[in-house]
Amino acid sequence: MKRTDPQDIYARWLETGARAVFVFSLVALGLYLSGVLSPRIPLQELPKLWTLSAAELMRQADTPGGLGWLRLLGYGDYLNLLAIALFSLLSLVCAARMIPAFLRSGERVQAVLAVLQVLVLLAAALNLFPGAR
Amino acid sequence: VYDSFWIWPLALFALCFLLGIVAVIAGIGGGVLFVPIVGSFFPFHLDFVRGAGLVVALSGTLAAAPTLLRTNLANLRLVMPLALAGSICSLAGAVVGFALPVNVVQTSLGVIIIAVAVLLWLSKASDEYGHRSDYLGQLLGLSGQFHDPAAGQHIDWRTRRTALGIAAFGGIGFIGGLFGLGAGWANVPALNLLMSAPLKVAVGTSGLAISIINSSAAWVYIYRGALLPAIAMPAILGVMLGSRIGARLLHTMPSAAVRRIVIGVLVVAGGRALLRGLGIWS
Repeated sequence: MKRTDPQDIYARWLETGARAVFVFSLVALGLYLSGVLSPRIPLQELPKLWTLSAAELMRQADTPGGLGWLRLLGYGDYLNLLAIALFSLLSLVCAARMIPAFLRSGERVQAVLAVLQVLVLLAAALNLFPGAR
Repeated sequence: VYDSFWIWPLALFALCFLLGIVAVIAGIGGGVLFVPIVGSFFPFHLDFVRGAGLVVALSGTLAAAPTLLRTNLANLRLVMPLALAGSICSLAGAVVGFALPVNVVQTSLGVIIIAVAVLLWLSKASDEYGHRSDYLGQLLGLSGQFHDPAAGQHIDWRTRRTALGIAAFGGIGFIGGLFGLGAGWANVPALNLLMSAPLKVAVGTSGLAISIINSSAAWVYIYRGALLPAIAMPAILGVMLGSRIGARLLHTMPSAAVRRIVIGVLVVAGGRALLRGLGIWS
């Protein structure tokens, strides 16, 4: 496979990104569980809270909705949520990289599909999809 | 009380490590085992189990996808239209999942998991892949070739029934988003039996598709507060480590026997979810 083939480019970008996010998630988990970064929801309260629905937990723990959690990244639990969010962002970044790659290889229909995929993943990441709120 | 916190994440890590091994040997995704087992036998609300199940499947496929792409076992061009339909419907499924009462989701999950067990029991692979491509398949360039070391030959393939395949991925994506499942159990038959992709390409391409499809639904779970790091992170790490061990044991373990055990476990876990949803065994 040529290094300029979109499939090879996707593989390289995904591999680099997945490795980086995996290392980040290990560090974030270590900081969280060791108590170096204190969690917003104390660990000892979790057994009471994880039996509740997500909506009820958000109410009881006074968790901000929407993009509000991005303001809480100084807490161990929210730093770990960022790690999960970064896993979810990888496909968006790789799909965006495919737009010029497919255009360069003359595959315009695939490039259009990549644009649409980016729009869907972007709408999801920005909480803009119907029924999100 | 503090001690009881540690019991569950540690038990979850151990279970997910085991699930990672078994899932690889049995040839299915970890997510489809995770949700019914953890949902039935751990104290977590189903919202958090579905959220963790979704990111378990996501992280496992993200780790495997680069190798699958390089060996041509996953085909990016084939994934593009399927993942687009799947990710839109997966978003919708996740939103619907939060709108439904938990007993309805639990009951439906039980039915789906038992159906998955039946599908795994009955499904047979097709090796008919020399068909002519349909118009949509040609337009999207859905064809390829790969070297099969086991058969010792290069295999040229192209898809047919492309529109039906895209529709099937929409339906599968909806179910995956709703229940937090990886959906490889449905993607592979759709690619192999419906679209006539070779089985190995179907398995590899399904993994890549899940990595994109679950990425969209994961945001719904993040924004709805259904991703608790104390549950999701041990599960992700357990399955990823277990999958590596499973890949090493793949050639030495009797995969047919492991697959039968997995089907049995799915029936028990699905039955438990069904009875729990109906209020018979809570």
